[in-house]
Amino acid sequence: MFSKALFKQSIKANWVKWISVTTATCIMLAIVIIVLGNLGINDIRDSLKDVFVQADQESQLKEQAVDGYELYVSSATTYPQLHNTMVQGFIQSIISDYQTQLDTLQGQGDISAEQKQQLMQQIANQYAENLDSIAMGTKEYKASFFYNSLFYYDTNSTSLDYDDLIDYAYLTTVYDMAYAQFMAGENATNEEAVMKAIMAKTTAQTAISKYKELGENANYQELGLQYMNTLMYDSTYNLQIQQGASADDAKLFAVSVKVISNTAITSYQFWLNEGGDVTKEEARANACQSISDQIPEKVSEALTELGNMDMYSLIIGSIFYRIAGLLLPMVFVIMAANGLLAGQVDSGSMAYVLSTPTKRRTVAVTQMVYLVTALFSMFALLTAVSVIAVFVSGGNDFAINYGQILLFNLGAYLTMFAIAGFCYMCSSIFNRTKYSLGLGGGLTIFSLVCTILGLFGSTVVPSAMRIEPMNFFNYLSIITLFDTNEIMLGSLDYIWKFAILLGVGLITFIIGVFRFEKKDLPL
Amino acid sequence: MSELIEVQHLTKDYGQGRGIFDLNFSIKKGEVFGFVGTNGSGKTTTIRHLMGFLKAQSGSCRINDFDCWKDSTEIKKSVSYVPGEIAFPDLRTGTEFLKAQAELLGLKSMDRANYLCQKLQLDTSANLKRMSKGMKQKTAIVAAFMADKDILVLDEPTTGLDPLMRDTFLELILEEKERGKTIFMSSHLFNELEDTCDRVALIHNGRIIDITELNDIDNLPTKTYKIGFTNNDDYKKFKRLKFEIIRSQPQYNQVTVKIDNAQINDLIKALTRYEVQYVAEIKFSLEEHFKQALKKYKEGQNV
Repeated sequence: MFSKALFKQSIKANWVKWISVTTATCIMLAIVIIVLGNLGINDIRDSLKDVFVQADQESQLKEQAVDGYELYVSSATTYPQLHNTMVQGFIQSIISDYQTQLDTLQGQGDISAEQKQQLMQQIANQYAENLDSIAMGTKEYKASFFYNSLFYYDTNSTSLDYDDLIDYAYLTTVYDMAYAQFMAGENATNEEAVMKAIMAKTTAQTAISKYKELGENANYQELGLQYMNTLMYDSTYNLQIQQGASADDAKLFAVSVKVISNTAITSYQFWLNEGGDVTKEEARANACQSISDQIPEKVSEALTELGNMDMYSLIIGSIFYRIAGLLLPMVFVIMAANGLLAGQVDSGSMAYVLSTPTKRRTVAVTQMVYLVTALFSMFALLTAVSVIAVFVSGGNDFAINYGQILLFNLGAYLTMFAIAGFCYMCSSIFNRTKYSLGLGGGLTIFSLVCTILGLFGSTVVPSAMRIEPMNFFNYLSIITLFDTNEIMLGSLDYIWKFAILLGVGLITFIIGVFRFEKKDLPL
Repeated sequence: MSELIEVQHLTKDYGQGRGIFDLNFSIKKGEVFGFVGTNGSGKTTTIRHLMGFLKAQSGSCRINDFDCWKDSTEIKKSVSYVPGEIAFPDLRTGTEFLKAQAELLGLKSMDRANYLCQKLQLDTSANLKRMSKGMKQKTAIVAAFMADKDILVLDEPTTGLDPLMRDTFLELILEEKERGKTIFMSSHLFNELEDTCDRVALIHNGRIIDITELNDIDNLPTKTYKIGFTNNDDYKKFKRLKFEIIRSQPQYNQVTVKIDNAQINDLIKALTRYEVQYVAEIKFSLEEHFKQALKKYKEGQNV
């Protein structure tokens, strides 16, 4: 089943190819990993990330400033007319409704505080649902406002003052709404939400007291701006000091926040005053734009994706292990597989081996063992080189860890194993080099080219550079079964794909061996 | 078991009249069997069947009572082969090739190989790729003969050899024959077969037309002589005698006569009366014989 003499002969015939291909591939791999490891190609990605993170923070600060300003101004201007004149009448009828129902309930027996609250909530919701005519915000706002009014009435029914009631209801509702709004956001903590709510309430309170002090004719826009700028400055400064910054640094940072606040509010004012039909929402959005909002959506998406792209796995996995690193081993396999059988049959030199008492099966098996062994030793060396290169680049802290690099090598070997099997089968079936190389080598190179073209359609390429239809080429290539991206993402799907590659290799090798035993040889 | 190689009804049809059809022959132990035919007549195809490289469509060929296809490994224990097309494995020098071949053959000693190299004046240290055609042929011959097996199958073994080397090679064949080897050898050159073979088969368009014992040709009952006379008178007088004249050329005063071996003395006596310029025997060659056989075969086909 195995001929040592023939094996030696195959080594002698192919060692130059083997050495040159192995050396070149190893050097390429070492350079790729070590150079990438030292250049820090992810720096660009990190700085891109910073830009977007900063822009996000700035945008949040602006929103905070504008929202506060808006609350201040609306509290100082719309609050008096709305709540003193229009709402008061409704509140009175709500209160009397509540009192009637409460009396009825109390006539039936004692009533707990919980039941009372339920009744308040019920009536508040009812009125909020039915009172479409009052222009005072959303249903939730109305419900909250009415509930707070009833709550105040309930606790202060003995000496009820409607002005105080409305102040209380207004401010508490501001608090509630701010709390709810913050809690609806991502990563919200109760503590922060309470802080924001208190700030909102304070702002509204300040505005109302200013109104009571100065009356209708004061310039609340100017006052709101000043108030918010100061508030932003103070809160930032305090926060910085709390977090351990020096007074100077805290001051500097607070000033920059104040500038942002001032800019945002001023531009909000401009949009409202001079923007024509611009609604408050639009004005707010325009005023709070950050860098990422100003660039077109597609560009910003592309930049974000570029920032999130993993250059290491793209270059080492998708480009080196699936394309560049496979090319030379492919050339070796195509040439060696052809030379091991078809080449020798075509030239006639196989006659010398077969005119000795060496079985055809022995010849076929020996040549197969040579091809598999040559490939295996090539990839064993490549694995050693890659592991050393990863070690040099920082070991498991490197962007690609030892486990992943070992899987890359295993995958590349299995891919080459399948390709070698196919080339070997072609070499066994055909007596002519031109057909063996044509089909075996042709299809192999076709696969590689398809993988190159398919790369432009695959998800590892950022969408700015991706051409979706090109992904079609990936379906034409056996290399697609070696998915480096899946390995990087930690999916276990690569296991069954590796099994297919192994199966393809085994089956084609077996077909090759049996075919060579049975066919006519023109020797 | 005197029939060492036996081919029966061997057929391989490649279509369009190509291939070999219903070949039958057998070779005895110790015999040198020649196989002659034009290019593309089926010599190599037959040999490939003997070596077990091709599977017969129908019929069989057996060596040492082993089927050449099924037991091809078994027959190679007693058969050496010089292929018609010389191409060596991808190795550097002739020495390296012979060593690799010896290893495949399980040969311990290279003595026989060295002897053959010496006899054929072959320098095996030369690079295989740079060898001339003759050197390659010699290397192939050494590779086959060094195993010292009982049967030699040679496909046009003298191609590329210079005339002197060809003689050396034919000597070698006779030497092997002395040592009891059975040799199957194809060629398209008649004279080298005449010098070495016991029997020769003629193959044409895939069919064996004739198999001849060379002894029969050498010892024919009749012989042909060409006689030239110095003058026309003698020529005319001789023509009147009762010898069977198969060709006469008056312009050269020349006749060709065919006589029984028993008549030779009558002829000599008759010739003493004339002025004879020369007497030459026209050898009835293998080539002549096959030409006639081929002619007969073609006529037979046309009818």
